[in-house]
Amino acid sequence: MIEEEIRQFEQAAASGEPPNSTDGFQSLDSRVISLWRVSGLIGFGVLLLSLLIVVLAVGFAEPKFFVWLFIPWLALAAISCWFSFWYPPRFYRTWGYRIDAKVLETRSGRLFQRARLLPLSRLQHVDIERGPLERMYGLASLVLHTAGTHSANIRIPGLEAGEATRLRDRLIEIGGDDAV
Amino acid sequence: MQSEPLGQSDPPEQLRPLPVNPSTSIFEGRLHPLTIAFGLLKTARGLIYVVPLLLFGNKGYGFVALALLIASTIATALTRYFSFSYRIEGNELITQHGILERKQRSIPLERIQEIRIEQGVLHRIFDVVDAKIETGGGEGAEASLSVLSRAEAERLRRAVFERVARVRPAADDANLAGQFHRAGEAQAAAPVERVVIRRLRLKDLIIIGLTTNHLLSALALAGALWNFAEDLLPDSIYRQAGNIIYRESSRLFMQDVATTIAVALLGALAVFLIGVTFSTAGAIVRFYGFTLSRAGEDLRRRYGLLTRRASSLPRRRIQVLKIEEKIFRRMFGLATLRADTSGSHREHEDDNSGHDVLLPIARRNEVDGLLTTFLPDFDAGQNEWRRVSRLAVRRGVIKGAIVCALAAAILFGVHQQIIALWPFALLPLVYFISAANYRNLGYALSERYFCARRGWAGRSTHIVPINKIQAVEIHQSPLDRRLGLATLSVDTAGQAYTGGGPQISNLPIDEARAIAGTLAHRASVTRYSWRQ
Repeated sequence: MIEEEIRQFEQAAASGEPPNSTDGFQSLDSRVISLWRVSGLIGFGVLLLSLLIVVLAVGFAEPKFFVWLFIPWLALAAISCWFSFWYPPRFYRTWGYRIDAKVLETRSGRLFQRARLLPLSRLQHVDIERGPLERMYGLASLVLHTAGTHSANIRIPGLEAGEATRLRDRLIEIGGDDAV
Repeated sequence: MQSEPLGQSDPPEQLRPLPVNPSTSIFEGRLHPLTIAFGLLKTARGLIYVVPLLLFGNKGYGFVALALLIASTIATALTRYFSFSYRIEGNELITQHGILERKQRSIPLERIQEIRIEQGVLHRIFDVVDAKIETGGGEGAEASLSVLSRAEAERLRRAVFERVARVRPAADDANLAGQFHRAGEAQAAAPVERVVIRRLRLKDLIIIGLTTNHLLSALALAGALWNFAEDLLPDSIYRQAGNIIYRESSRLFMQDVATTIAVALLGALAVFLIGVTFSTAGAIVRFYGFTLSRAGEDLRRRYGLLTRRASSLPRRRIQVLKIEEKIFRRMFGLATLRADTSGSHREHEDDNSGHDVLLPIARRNEVDGLLTTFLPDFDAGQNEWRRVSRLAVRRGVIKGAIVCALAAAILFGVHQQIIALWPFALLPLVYFISAANYRNLGYALSERYFCARRGWAGRSTHIVPINKIQAVEIHQSPLDRRLGLATLSVDTAGQAYTGGGPQISNLPIDEARAIAGTLAHRASVTRYSWRQ
């Protein structure tokens, strides 16, 4: 029985479906791209600002070093600005989730790719999280908790707020007949 | 499988705690009077800090501090003894203590994973025990009853587990079919007979000591000590010591080379003997009189020379079983069995209570026969083990080569000599390790179980019941994607003692997807609960 099942899966995987198939995978809300851009810029901004203070302090004490510190700082600033614009849409494209029978599958990651399969009957509880930025964009994250150890929670970011609630209800409905 | 009605067969009403009502209290108990003595003894250590004050400081303050400390210690111990009580009420075990602020904790009976009983040397003199109640979640024991008379602890344990067996509805688990359940119920009604699965003799304990990797750590320790001593002591001492050793041994050997070899051999032998002695003594102290037995659904362990420990583990709560063959044990065809329950957690890093092993030592060829004792519906034995992709060797070599190249580049940058490229000489070793790794990697998938095996010098085999799977993950590094490979890992609850559950690398990506899909779908139609 199990052999058959594996064969079916293998056939499905072999027959035309490319390994990175997008079949049935839902993508996140595209507004999450600008959310990631903004939060990336804020993160880099804090880092750059603190570095700038160091550069200025050193430059004040030893003016001849100033240029040699300021130019790398400018370069770093340019790279991080470019990165926080360039990376999010690419990362966004790798993100997907789908519900197949009673299993939720998420995939993400560009360089290091990861797929996670969560049997919905193992769902312990579901959280909806909305940070201040997410609220501004009308987005929400869904956090799925299992009783597991190293992937005890699975996070789906960047869902439209209403969609997040609907998805939560659906997940609980599918997984809910397994009360713990 | 899919057609079975799930969940509806388990009416939750039956598990809901009954309304708190004195008449439902079926069991009540208090701590043993010796609690006071043990409490005093435990806090007496605090007095050490007052001693210097008494000796060197102001005598008056010292005595005041001492008096205060003693008074508060006595007060704490008395309070604990007189205010602590526990009872089973409805479906909860309730502990209560405190005089001014009464603290009450209720633990739902069906959440109790284990009642661990520990007995230190002093405890044994007075025939009392510490009982630690463990549940599925959280850190450490949920409640610690210290101290109880041994008979009382046994009474509590029986009361809890009998009550659980009565409360638990028949349909516990769709996958584990009803027969175990009915068996369990029958056993709950009739007195349960106890079957000894394995008893370890002194010989076995010595084997444990001899095959522990403590040998390696002893060598490392000796090396570190030597380095340390070299820095610490002046050269002249070494010269003198060298001279003495030289004079003495040349009398024996009359030759330089022989002296050096003899000294080196003797040193190595001494380190080896110290290591063996320590680890053997450790094994005997920890596991003396180890008995693993089964009573109905419970696996019971009892062991220890100084501190006696007893614990029971309902076998349906095993989340992962690990067969561990570390290098020395594997050479002699031996293995260690470890098991995780959903309540597993390490109390501290170097926890040496031995609680993490199900069976400290067994012959490897006997282990397969034992598996059905621990996992009654184990069915993967007859299935063929499958190997991973042959590309595993290439992947290992490439990864190793990258590390070697980086190390060589750094060394060359520092020394700028051709000799600094020595890390490349390790490449044959890298190949050997990768090939060994490939030979050990494998998995087996059956109706109800998933097994994965890995390691190169040693080897570990993880066995996980599919209905205990919480999530499945597939990882692909850039190198993996180039070779079309992936790593699959399975997550379960409470992986504390088995080193992270089943994980298998170097699977062809399509196969990894197929296995992950199969496992997840299979798990999704089974039920999972803390109680199992």
